[in-house]
Amino acid sequence: MDIFTTFDIAASGLNAQRTRLNTISANLANAETTSTPEGGPYKKKSVVFQTEALPFKQHLQASLGNQGQTQGVKVARIVEDTSAPQRIYDPAHPDAKEDGYVEMPNISVFKEMVDMMSATRSYEANTTTIKSAKRMAMKALDIGR
Amino acid sequence: MDAINGVTGLLPTGQAATTPLRQAETSFGDILTAMVGQTNTLQQAADQAIQQVHAGDEKNLHTAMIAMEKADISLRYMVQVRNKAIDAYQEIMRMQV
Repeated sequence: MDIFTTFDIAASGLNAQRTRLNTISANLANAETTSTPEGGPYKKKSVVFQTEALPFKQHLQASLGNQGQTQGVKVARIVEDTSAPQRIYDPAHPDAKEDGYVEMPNISVFKEMVDMMSATRSYEANTTTIKSAKRMAMKALDIGR
Repeated sequence: MDAINGVTGLLPTGQAATTPLRQAETSFGDILTAMVGQTNTLQQAADQAIQQVHAGDEKNLHTAMIAMEKADISLRYMVQVRNKAIDAYQEIMRMQV
């Protein structure tokens, strides 16, 4: 049924924002991680969004012209920050280099908090879309009453 | 389209003799059965999603909620169609002959 297309698109948005929140929580948890299995400090991760490829059925319908190009979103990949780590002077730290500097991850907690708010708001927007679609469907069903 | 075909069936001309035969292939009952089947499929999908959330699989919470909403809307729609069909049936039964 076509009324459920809105649901599917919004669900893809919810999924994407969930993944984004996961990376943000990883960034916050590792904001002061100085050592990783790969060596060096933790690297900030961020998500890259991409429009979701349409399934064949929807492609066909779109090309037949009875439906616009409605597309969901997906997380294309999770990229690591490549900028140089922060250097903080702390000779007593176990991970300190010979010169007394410790390499800390390049993560701003405030930035991450703002990103988190943005992800939460986007999630809310997508749930509101679903609620809206449901309200419309219910109104359509009310016609018969 | 079906409504128009139904009207032509009432016409006294003999031209519409072929259309009732063709319509008999997809009766109202068939449509209703297909709809009940579709509703049932969505209900089962919702059940499955809930089970997966309970079992702690990778499914997200919102996936289950959306599956439930879909099942809810399709069930309400089915009930509405059923109400309409019963109304029409009762209206005909009340008809004075």
